[in-house]
Parts: sequence; C-alpha cells; structure tokens
Amino acid sequence: MFCEKAVELIRELHRAPDGQLPAFNEDGIRQVLEEMKALYEQNQSDVYDRLLRIRALRWEYGSILPSTIQFHMSAEEMEWFNHYKKSLATYMRSLGGDEGLDITQDMKPPKSLYIEVRCLKDYGEFEVDDGTSILLKKNSQHFLPRWKCEQLIRQGVLEHVLS
Amino acid sequence: MFVSDFRKEFYELVQSQRVLLFVASDVDALCACKILQALFQCDHVQYTLVPVSGWQELETAFLEHKEQFRYFILINCGANVDLLDILQPDEETIFFVCDTHRPVNVVNVYNDTQIKLLIKQDDDLEVPAYDDIFRDEEEDEDLSGSEDVDGSEPSEKRTRLEEEIVERTLKRRQRREWEARRRDILFDYEQYEHYGTSSAMVMFDLAWIMSKDLNDMLWWAIVGLTDQWVHDKITQMKYVTDVGILQRHVSRHNHRNEDEENTLSVDCTRISFEYDLRLVLYQHWSLHESLCNTSYTAARFKLWSVHGQKRLQEFLADMGLPLKQVKQKFQSMDMSLKENLQEIIEESANKFGSTPAFRYQHPFLPFTSLLWVYTFFMPSFHCLSCFRSNLDKLYLGLELAKKQLQAIQQTIASCLCTNLVISQGPFLYCSLMEGTPDVMLFSKPASLSLLSRHLLKSFVCSTKNRRCKLLPLVMAAPLSVEQGTVTVVGIPPETDGSDRKNFFGRAFEKAAESTSSRTLHNHFDLSVIELKAEDRSKFLDALVSLLS
Repeated sequence: MFCEKAVELIRELHRAPDGQLPAFNEDGIRQVLEEMKALYEQNQSDVYDRLLRIRALRWEYGSILPSTIQFHMSAEEMEWFNHYKKSLATYMRSLGGDEGLDITQDMKPPKSLYIEVRCLKDYGEFEVDDGTSILLKKNSQHFLPRWKCEQLIRQGVLEHVLS
Repeated sequence: MFVSDFRKEFYELVQSQRVLLFVASDVDALCACKILQALFQCDHVQYTLVPVSGWQELETAFLEHKEQFRYFILINCGANVDLLDILQPDEETIFFVCDTHRPVNVVNVYNDTQIKLLIKQDDDLEVPAYDDIFRDEEEDEDLSGSEDVDGSEPSEKRTRLEEEIVERTLKRRQRREWEARRRDILFDYEQYEHYGTSSAMVMFDLAWIMSKDLNDMLWWAIVGLTDQWVHDKITQMKYVTDVGILQRHVSRHNHRNEDEENTLSVDCTRISFEYDLRLVLYQHWSLHESLCNTSYTAARFKLWSVHGQKRLQEFLADMGLPLKQVKQKFQSMDMSLKENLQEIIEESANKFGSTPAFRYQHPFLPFTSLLWVYTFFMPSFHCLSCFRSNLDKLYLGLELAKKQLQAIQQTIASCLCTNLVISQGPFLYCSLMEGTPDVMLFSKPASLSLLSRHLLKSFVCSTKNRRCKLLPLVMAAPLSVEQGTVTVVGIPPETDGSDRKNFFGRAFEKAAESTSSRTLHNHFDLSVIELKAEDRSKFLDALVSLLS
C-alpha cells in the first residue's frame, strides 16, 4: 500500500507532545524516499510510453493529427510532437538527393505502382491527381495509385484486393 | 456509332483517363470485366468498378458519379435502350457500350458523338437505314417558304397559290406515308429480342489485337461463351462457330504440350479442348445425381414420375453401370467405367449427344468448362480467379449450384404433377405460389429464367398435345410479399433449330400500357418485368388478346 510508511511517520511526529522532536527515523524516511522514487519512475515510463505512441501516430496519420487525438494531448506533448516532426522532416530532406525522400510512404516494399482496392465504408469524396474526385462508397472497387491509397488502407477505409 | 478500330477509337482514348465501369450481373459480363481489368491493370489505367443488377441501380450510380468521370464503360447493359434519354448526361460524357443485348437501339447506332458501341458489325445486326427512320425537320419548313412576289399579275398569283397548295398536300401525304413505313420498319426491327457475340469474347479479341492476351483471359472468354450457351442465349450453330474461334486460340496458347522437348512445367495451368458429356457437373457429383439434374435427361426420362425413375434405372442397367457405382461420387467410380463412360453412353443413347467443351487443367484438379457454378455464385470477382487461390470459394459455389439444380428439378416435378402449367391460347402459363419450397430462390430473374426454360423442356416431353409443344411460356414467381409484386418472365418456344428470338419484351410493354398495369422494367433483359400482383389478371388477359 502506497504512502503507508509516510503516513506512519507523520502520525509518529503528531503523537509526540508539542515541541518535542522524536528520534530521526532514518529507516522510515529512506523507505518513503524509495517509494517516492519508484512512483516517480513509473510516472516517467508512462509519459515515455505516451511519447512513443505519439511518435507512431506521426507515421500513421501524417504530419497533421486528427483533432480528437490532439484533444487528448497536453501542451508539452504537442511541443514534443512538433519537434519530432521537424527532426523527421529534416532527416527526410537530407536523403535522396535534392528533393528528399518521404519515408513514411510505402511501409512494405511495393509490388506495383497501382493497386486494386475495395471500399469498406462510405468515405465520401476523395481527391485524385487531376484535381477531380472519386466517390468512395461502400463496396465500390477502384484501381488507383498505391501512394494515394496507403493512408486510407491504414485507416481501414480501403482494403487491398488481391487478384 | 459502331467503333471499328477497337484499339484506336476505344482503348487508346481511355488509356490516359480515369473510367467508370458499369458491369451487369451475368457471368459473361463478369468475364468481360475481368479481361478488361487485367488490361487496365497492365497499363495502369485508373478505374472504378460498379456492379449493377438493373436500371435503378445504374441510374442511381450514374447520378452519383457523373461529375467525377467523363468516360463510362457499360458491359452487358445499355445497348437496347435510348441511353442518352434515360441517363441525361452532360455533353462531354462518352459511353462505351459492350453489350450482347439485341437489337441495338437505333438512337445508339446513329449517335456520332456520345455513344460508342463496342460491337462487332458482322453480328447480323440488320439496322434500318438512317433515312428510313430519321428525317430532317427543316425539310418540312420549306413548305411555308414562298412569299408573295411583287409586281405580278393577280391571275399568275392565283395559279402559283394553287400550285403551292397542291405541292403542300403532296408533301404532307408523303410525310404520312414515310411515317407509316417508319413505324413498320421499327416494329419489325425491335420486335424480337436476342443476343449477339459474348462480350467476354469481344474483350478477348481486343486483348489479342493488342498482343496482350493471356491464357487466363482466354479461359474467361471461354466461360463467357459457355454462359451464353448454358442459358440458351445463342443458337447451337453460333456456339459451335465461336467454339471454333476459341479453339484456335487455345491451340496457339497451349501447343507446347505436344512437343516433348518443350513441355510446360507441371505447375502451369493448361487449357485443353475435347468433347465432353452434356451432363451437368458430373465430375463433381455422382453420375446418378448428374443424370437426374441435367435438364435434358430429366426431361427425356420424365424423371418427375415414378415410371420415369424406373426407366432411368433400366437405362443404367442396359449400359452395364451398377447402381452402386453410379450413386457414389464420380471421382470414386471404377477407373474402367470412368474411362469408357462417353463411349458407353453414346452407344446406348442416340440423342445423348456430347458437346464440344473446354477443360481447364489446374495443376492438381481438372475442371470442365460446363461450370454451372459461375451461373449461380452471385457476382464475385474472386471466383473467376480462384483456381489458383481460394479453392474453398469454388467448392462452396459448386455446392450452391448443386442445391439450385436440385431445387429446380423438384419445383418442375411439383409443377408437372399438379398440372400448374396451363395453356392460355397463344402461350403457356405457370405461376409459382407463395409457400412453394424454395420459391424465394426464384425471385431473381436469372434463376427464374433458368427454371422456366427447364420447365418448358420437361413440359414438352410430358404433354401429348402437339399444339402445346410449340408454345412459348410465361412464368410468374412472387418477388416481394410486402410490396405485393411478382417477377414475370417470357421464354420463347422450345423447337429444334429455334433462333432463340424472344418477342415478350415488346409484348409485355404493350400489354402493360393498354391495361395501365403497374410494371417495372428494371432488368436489362426486356423479357423480364416486375408486376403488381393485383394487376396480374388484366395484364394476362391483355397479353392473350395481343398475341392471339
């Protein structure tokens, strides 16, 4: 039980008559300090875990996070996320010659430029290269460039049809 | 307009664009679609695929997508109606129509800008000449042209006026005659519905022209053609002709088997051509079941009667096939019996014909092309590619097909035994009651058509009335109990050498009009309609008087 020892120490001090100083309970204090340290470390690992998850979200959702997720993040976490974004962008720019290489695309080695996908949910309009849009309705099937579909496949809106 | 160069005027146009494919739900359409998809995937043409089972779905989907696409491809739908009138597209929109439905609507034929027909013109089309059915409206306005000429004598004016009147009357009469002729020509042209060359074969031909044809595409073309044959959409002669065409392609693709040195590895799929028994699914069933459920044998043996069952057993005994063998799974039959089956049966039954067929050899399992499984397995593109992966779906489809065939035979037996098929004069009529087992299975037009054709074949064998044997059949089955609707299907008569032409499309239309019956022509085949059950009797009466 957390804080038991700490409460005990406080009670001891309280029990002593006014003004008197009981013996310095070195053991007790040390135990409490250790408990405090353990709790602090656990909190730290929880925060760290959150940061790892936020980092994964960058790879899943792209550089703009959905507002529902942003709502769950603290200001410091947002700041951390922005720093991470910047580092990743700098790194990507340094790869692949002048233009840089977007390594968040093509998580698995692609077999072809275009893929056949089936729409699993009603998504609505989806913009394509030439500026026009396609209607993604449930159960419709489309043949589109792989890179356009990746995000939606990861989100579960589209499903890759293997023929 | 008819496209003459499929590559330049169709494929190369759409190659750089995004297209929308509307695909009807028959097997031939699916096969054609698979071939086209394979070509598009090879060339990275972006497309969206929308399966449609009737006009309502097509119209809705078109409205949803019309802003997003300029090019639309319609497979096995759209040729036999005035497409522009129904869909009301923008001027920029272009439709490519690859459809087996005939006759092709005259507006589609003569529209030069928005309708491109992917139809071979050597399919006896007999389209009426342009001048016989279209007429410039401006010609008629010349009648009111002549003005008064100044400075002429009154008498001259009068004769000129008289001449004008005579001319005008003459022109008006000519116009009426032209219109009467036009009505006759259109009536003759549009009266009979039939089917042209398989769309899958048309698509395969396109692939071949572009040297992009593969063995798989060839198989799909074969399946598409077989679907037409199985559903009595084409004549025997057309089937045999088209089989010949495909056989040449098969030889071209698969000849390496014959050369000992260059045989294909065992893992490759091969297509071979041979003559096979016309027994449905016999390799995946027992021979007995197959004999009972093939329309031809069920009808000839009259298997709905006890007497008929006995005859079948005698026939089998005659051929020396033990009942025990015949009732077990075909694959488990004795090798000696299996190998000589074709000869045995041919010897015993003269008319028990064998039919040219294709066999698709999977590395481990042979399949014949008389694959009814495709007919019944509702639109699933997976199924057509499932030889390599997904054999489970194929087996599931086989089981469904067997169930459907058995349901058909049972329904036929009950219809014939309870005399449900009655003659109305110019046609036979049969109506399935609600509560008949499996009746909801037959609310779908494809199943109902199949049932009707088999029923007619069996009926013809069962009746002694010579006149009745030559009659067509109208069949009705309940569609929706809540809405009180029935599906009605019209089948042409069962005659040897029938050209498979069906006049019920127009007949249904006229009967519905004259009685204000509430009908819905939702299906791409005009000879299938939905009708309010309450209007059934007056509709039938009108049909009888129309066709008498």
